[in-house]
Amino acid sequence: MTIGIKEVEEPRRRVPLVGVISGMATVGKHLFQKPVTLKYPEEKPDLPERFRFRIYLKLDDCVGCTLCEQVCPNGSIKMQNVHRENPRNKRMIYPDVNFGTCTVCRNCEEICPTDAIYLTHVFETSRTRNNFTYSPEELAMDEDKVKK
Amino acid sequence: MSLLQTLYGIFSFLGHYPGYAISYLIETVLYLIVISLFLIFMIYLFRKFMARLQLRLGPNRVGKFGSLQLIADALKLVGKESILPKERDDLPYRVAPMIVMVGLFLAFTILPYGSLIGIGSLTVTNSAVTLVLVFAVISIMPIGEVLAGVSSHNKYALIGALRSIAKDISFEVPMMISILAIVMMASARVPDSLSISSIVSAQFLPYAVLQPLGIFVFFTAMVARASYTPFDMGESDSELVSGYSTEYTGMRFAMFYVGLFGSILLGSMLVSLLYLSGYNGPLSTDVGVIWLVIKAMILVLISFTVWLSMPRIRIDKFVNFGWKYLLPISFANLIISGILTLGLGW
Amino acid sequence: MSELMQLNIGPQHPSTHGVLRLKVKVEGEIIREVEPVIGYLHRNAEKLCEMTYYCDNLVYFDRMDYVASMNMEAGYLEAAEKLLGIPPPERAIYIRTIMNELSRIASHLVWAGAFGLDLGMLTPFFYCFVQREKILRIFTEACGSRQETNYFSIGGVYQDLTPEIVDHVKAFITEFPRKLEEIYNLFAKNDVFIQRTKGIGYLSPEVAIQYGVTGPILRASGVPYDVRKAEPYLLYDRVNFDIPVSKKGDSLARFLVRFEEMRQSIRILGQIIDKIPEGPFFNPKAKKPLMIRLRGDGEVYARTESSKGEFGVYIVGDGGVKPYRVHVRSPAFKNLSILPVLAKDQMIADLISISGSIDLVFGEIDR
Repeated sequence: MTIGIKEVEEPRRRVPLVGVISGMATVGKHLFQKPVTLKYPEEKPDLPERFRFRIYLKLDDCVGCTLCEQVCPNGSIKMQNVHRENPRNKRMIYPDVNFGTCTVCRNCEEICPTDAIYLTHVFETSRTRNNFTYSPEELAMDEDKVKK
Repeated sequence: MSLLQTLYGIFSFLGHYPGYAISYLIETVLYLIVISLFLIFMIYLFRKFMARLQLRLGPNRVGKFGSLQLIADALKLVGKESILPKERDDLPYRVAPMIVMVGLFLAFTILPYGSLIGIGSLTVTNSAVTLVLVFAVISIMPIGEVLAGVSSHNKYALIGALRSIAKDISFEVPMMISILAIVMMASARVPDSLSISSIVSAQFLPYAVLQPLGIFVFFTAMVARASYTPFDMGESDSELVSGYSTEYTGMRFAMFYVGLFGSILLGSMLVSLLYLSGYNGPLSTDVGVIWLVIKAMILVLISFTVWLSMPRIRIDKFVNFGWKYLLPISFANLIISGILTLGLGW
Repeated sequence: MSELMQLNIGPQHPSTHGVLRLKVKVEGEIIREVEPVIGYLHRNAEKLCEMTYYCDNLVYFDRMDYVASMNMEAGYLEAAEKLLGIPPPERAIYIRTIMNELSRIASHLVWAGAFGLDLGMLTPFFYCFVQREKILRIFTEACGSRQETNYFSIGGVYQDLTPEIVDHVKAFITEFPRKLEEIYNLFAKNDVFIQRTKGIGYLSPEVAIQYGVTGPILRASGVPYDVRKAEPYLLYDRVNFDIPVSKKGDSLARFLVRFEEMRQSIRILGQIIDKIPEGPFFNPKAKKPLMIRLRGDGEVYARTESSKGEFGVYIVGDGGVKPYRVHVRSPAFKNLSILPVLAKDQMIADLISISGSIDLVFGEIDR
């Protein structure tokens, strides 16, 4: 295979000011285009289907295998004891998530054998300093029901 | 009938001199308020214009379409703590922004504005040498910038101030020579050729048509005077943080900021007065001030587009540009206008 | 000999990309000495990689060159997959190549915008970012994140490309060249821009090789070296593209080389976007619960061409589930070493434009 080499050409030397004026025209043309930004809280962005942020947990599906705790690169996930009747989760341990250190890498979702832990579109999760950690029950709740 | 005479009519009971003094004072204060409001509007316009060119929305929170944003910003700047550098040279440091503001507002009171229906002539200073006065006052402003840079004991500010001086020296000579061409042309038609209003009345054709080189030199000089991109070497925000105004905060910084926009407006007004026949328009002269504002605003928008689309020129290249290109061009312009005036009798 | 003034530029300065600090000795406006000081964004990524599983390290590699995260992931996986012996399937290779080239374009767009800002052009920055946002939109559709994507996994990719994403990539590569020319003209036709870049910061090929400079900067000095050609990985031995080269070696040449690289990336994308084969998108050896049970033994070094230059990853495995040692040869770090040479005896304004033309990303330099 031959190595294709392309020598880049310097822009031609032109009459002075022509480029400046054409640049001004190009910039001026954008005055009539639609802005790309949104007034955020009023207009919600159109998020793609796979956009992920807030972690949810299906308490009934979780088998307490601790894979998510192991795979979490930052140690944001810790297993907690929750007294709850679940025949699949004999050890009664469920993950909690510290959103202060979570990087939304989605490894926990990828590795979960029962798809119990999963990420969703919800991204409006304002927290105060001491409330970054979601307990397993809070992970199962809707965002607006979680005590902040 | 002018605004001044209307005011004198109210205060004439005080006698001749006190009456005129008070009318002048009131008129000047009135102008300051109007021009301050206009500058605030201009900053709003700039931010909206810049946002739309950059495919953004711009200010949109405070008031309808963000129209009160600038008021909010001004209040914020007034309320800010004034942080003074420890090793400053106190007096020049405090005086510098005021010099810039005073120079700017003085220049605005000297310009002729034409007339408006119901009020009459809006011109404050009816002197025979307003042109000389305006340029004398404009050249006060760089002193403020230099004082600010030297007194704030900051290396960035110092370099900014030095660049500012180098820049001012290199564009002011071509600027004055291009003005000379105008005075020469006007002197063939009107007696007081050093007064801006007679220069305006002498323009049977806008001088932009007769002196295309002259308007190029003068507009470039005005861009450099206001010091925005491409000629903002003095404050070049990506190299020298903020140039001579690096150490200024709060209201003092706002003065420099307003000074920048004021210079743009002043430059646009001067160009439209000297080269685009100012307040003369196709319709009746009673709406002269509106024509002036329209012409100035078009020039302001052009200035903004230049600002937003150009990279910054390097200081040594600018000095080269000033002496090697602008100066010969302005001389050529002077010679051509001389030929037009004397040879062809225009 | 007049006295030199010491000027400290950064780490908080409007034009230092990220947290670069430059100790500069100036004589008036002329720079006599530059000393870059780095380490303000040091996050210990290489050491952190020794403490997590092979599949998790991608998270740290994402955060190295955060404007071209897919390039970083591809570089790590070249090494890690060799070590673990898990080759990706054909479809994953195609997906990786597409994402790699999109990421390269995104990185160069960020560079072009920031370079404009360094020179005082306010507006082209936004046009670059609008285009980049379209690429990031494609990334979000593919994997759910804009920048720190964590999309490639050991033995494939985490999520398959849907036909809609392929359509969006196609739409992007049809409309992007026109926008690119518009941005290019804003820069290259402007006399002041040419004046600020032409002949500034000349780098001779010999000095460039001595300092270990790679990537667009080396190519702008006239050395046609590109890892994609010299040691092809992914699909690069099966697609046609040219190495853009310039003999001038100045800031303008670096600018032109990067813009030509974007055009070549579009060319690569156009060749492979229609040929994505059907099939699995990950290797079943690395499927779900096995992800953290992968064991590697031995040492391996792999190099790839990131948007900044040659990106090398060295991994030592001791038979455990975590690597024993990870080392990164980061291109931007080597490229930064050329700054004192280039900026000597230039003006302060040129220092900014030279450091802009090197394309510094501090996530990668400090790691």
